[in-house]
Amino acid sequence: MTLQIGVLLLLMVAAYAVASLKKLSVELSILAAAVAGGLGGAFLKTPPLGELPRHLVEGMFPYLDVMLVFSTATFFMALVSESGGVNYVVRGAIKLFYNVRVVALLVLMIIILIPGALTGAGSVSILVVGAPVALALKALGIPERKTAAILFIVAGLAAAAPPVNIWAMILCAGTAIPYVGFTYTLGIPVLILGTFTVLWLGLKKEGGMDKAAALAALPPVPPGMKGWRVLVPFVVFFGMVIANRTWPFATPIFGLPLEFSAAAFTAWLVSPRKPDVLKLALNTMKRLLPLLATMIVVGMLQQIMTATGVRGMISYAVISIPLVLLFIGLAVIIPVSEGVLTYGAAAILGIPLIWFFDSIGLHATVAIAGLSILWPLGDGLPPTALIGRLSVMVSDYKGTYWSFLRQTWVPWLVITITSILMVVYSAKLSFLVKWSM
Amino acid sequence: MSAPESKPLAHPVRVKIVLAVLAAALTVAGGVPLFKHRHFGTPFVAGPGVTKVIKLSDYSPGLKGRFVDADVFVMEGAEPGGKALIMANTHANEPAGYLAVKILIENAVVQKGTLYIIPTINVSASRNTKAGDGYPLYYDIPTDWGRVRFRMGTRDASPLESWPDPDVYIHYPDKQLLSYLDLRNTNRTWPGRPNGPMMERVTYAAMELMRKEKIDLAFDFHGAETMFPVTNCIVAPQKSAKFATLASMMVKAMEGFDSHVEPSPQNFRGLSHREIGDFSNTLPFLLEAPIPFLDQPTGPKTVKLLLDGKDPFLLSLAKKKKLFVSYDANGWPMDKRVGQHMSTTLEIIRQFSKKTPDRAIRLSGAPKYADLVRDGVGKYFHDPAKAEPGRIHYE
Repeated sequence: MTLQIGVLLLLMVAAYAVASLKKLSVELSILAAAVAGGLGGAFLKTPPLGELPRHLVEGMFPYLDVMLVFSTATFFMALVSESGGVNYVVRGAIKLFYNVRVVALLVLMIIILIPGALTGAGSVSILVVGAPVALALKALGIPERKTAAILFIVAGLAAAAPPVNIWAMILCAGTAIPYVGFTYTLGIPVLILGTFTVLWLGLKKEGGMDKAAALAALPPVPPGMKGWRVLVPFVVFFGMVIANRTWPFATPIFGLPLEFSAAAFTAWLVSPRKPDVLKLALNTMKRLLPLLATMIVVGMLQQIMTATGVRGMISYAVISIPLVLLFIGLAVIIPVSEGVLTYGAAAILGIPLIWFFDSIGLHATVAIAGLSILWPLGDGLPPTALIGRLSVMVSDYKGTYWSFLRQTWVPWLVITITSILMVVYSAKLSFLVKWSM
Repeated sequence: MSAPESKPLAHPVRVKIVLAVLAAALTVAGGVPLFKHRHFGTPFVAGPGVTKVIKLSDYSPGLKGRFVDADVFVMEGAEPGGKALIMANTHANEPAGYLAVKILIENAVVQKGTLYIIPTINVSASRNTKAGDGYPLYYDIPTDWGRVRFRMGTRDASPLESWPDPDVYIHYPDKQLLSYLDLRNTNRTWPGRPNGPMMERVTYAAMELMRKEKIDLAFDFHGAETMFPVTNCIVAPQKSAKFATLASMMVKAMEGFDSHVEPSPQNFRGLSHREIGDFSNTLPFLLEAPIPFLDQPTGPKTVKLLLDGKDPFLLSLAKKKKLFVSYDANGWPMDKRVGQHMSTTLEIIRQFSKKTPDRAIRLSGAPKYADLVRDGVGKYFHDPAKAEPGRIHYE
């Protein structure tokens, strides 16, 4: 069986490589890999040929909700931006904090951390506050490449931060471990690593602008734009999130797509100038199309990998690695799995890994926390590169994707080492769980 | 990561039309089987022991007319006694319990007391598939008179019945934070609310059934991965532990299979074995039988793997001592798993009846572990073609 599954894996890799060589997009190359794997699998009836269309169609849907969130959140921020709200906030931040750089960086870090920590999605951080924070960072004399790097790393940490960490929740659900004890276990490393990241990448001022020049370089604020006009849509969004968290049994479940839609409607209502909503929505969807397409084809690839046994073989290979190599290998395995499977990686690799770690005496909760700080790094890796691509998009960085990614290497390394140490020394760090209870 | 430059298309509109037609054709070819799966029913023949079939909504009007409303088969004995509830398909991708209750419904006769059987507590999950998991849609069980086809469901209810998902599920009433997906998982939504989210309504209705009918014993049938520490066991809270322990010892000694006792954790909320015990007078038991099909490191997810539980990767991991059950080249066949559920349940009922004679439950006609391993599960399914029309229920 190993040989036949190995051949199918090679077939999928070959189809991806050929499609890339033929200059097809990443999305079409992934689709080619999925279809090739499915057709190859049909020879062995895994899956039977007649079931292949069903597998391909079903595979389009694992990320439907995430796609809805991306679409509505980006539209919301596009409305805020069009109304001049983003420019207003950035001007304010520069006026207040330009001369106290460390405070400015830490405040901006907290601003990125909050939406992701509340929703569990780093992409929400980027989509909600990414654009204004990027402008503020640039005005502080941080080049766009580093701005994108800060956004990517801190948004990833935001996704890992408590109270909502989706990787940890998937792992807890799959391993029957309660989702409790994560507040300090995740919160302390996230704050330390976030602080290190913004200071490492942002402390040095590289632009030559002084405060007046920085303000002059920023786009003008439209007449009539006031603080409350920017604030109210965010109050609506966070109000709905917090209401559900504070009064869970008295508040209906809105869901993030509706929460962003309500915030978008409010932004339009209070905007001093009324943007063309239809045109803006069309532009937003055009901008998001490659990202949405990636999520659809990655779902199809996942489905075919499972139906053919490729996914199981990869999971088997990871669990079979000797322990020391496994600890070292986590540095590559975890981010790469996220890059290919996004949250699916937590279920496919994470659940058997946690059961295995638990069986050799490691502390499951701390190990889950360690892994879930490492997973977001994979959101910068292809083929999906969800947060990485969004970070580049909102920071308006025009260089190659790899030049952006290279910029992240020091925080990447520090996060990786921290995460692996958390797993290896999880038993000794179990006091963090006790503090959190 | 940006898309490489490509030549402009010669006839962009024509190409778009062709692609749209192809996409539509693929959607129809792939979507129709999913639609048929959602509406497929397996015939259950109400055997001689079934005295009536009611609905879960009879205990909670919040479910009336909803897609998620479940059938409850009632088997009343001539003599009054204790009462037991058996639930299957909490997770509809763990089918051993579902097959076990079909056998009970079609074969068992209750002499004393009453059995309530809910073949599918999470109807929505049983008619749902998990995108990305690549499971087969159906599996067939051979019988002497033909094959019986069953739907393969999944763990969580469909978004068609429970949407949108929250960003985090806050358990009622404990306020423990759980994964957003757990809102659609009926083994996280106990004890439920009458007008809460749909799966909380389902568990609330089952709680009401237990409270109103004064159910003594409740069984929740599951399957668990061989790599999951809580597998091949009876999960029981303190109040049920005595009967679980006695049954565990008896099935080991008399019937030759293991099913150890796992304590129900006090700080993990929403589970049937925790909340039923805490919110009613019923003694809950959650039965886990190993299901290799659900393990992550397996080969293709085929019907064969589902039914025989044989997988070379798991065999290799077993040799490396990375599984929590004994595992050899014989795999872990469905007949064995169904047999474990059946015998463990019958033994718990027997132990309870011995200790509390006034609430005893006595039944006959149910095969035990050895019978099922020897004869196969299909031997005990009744041919719907030979049944009276009024006795057939499509589950």
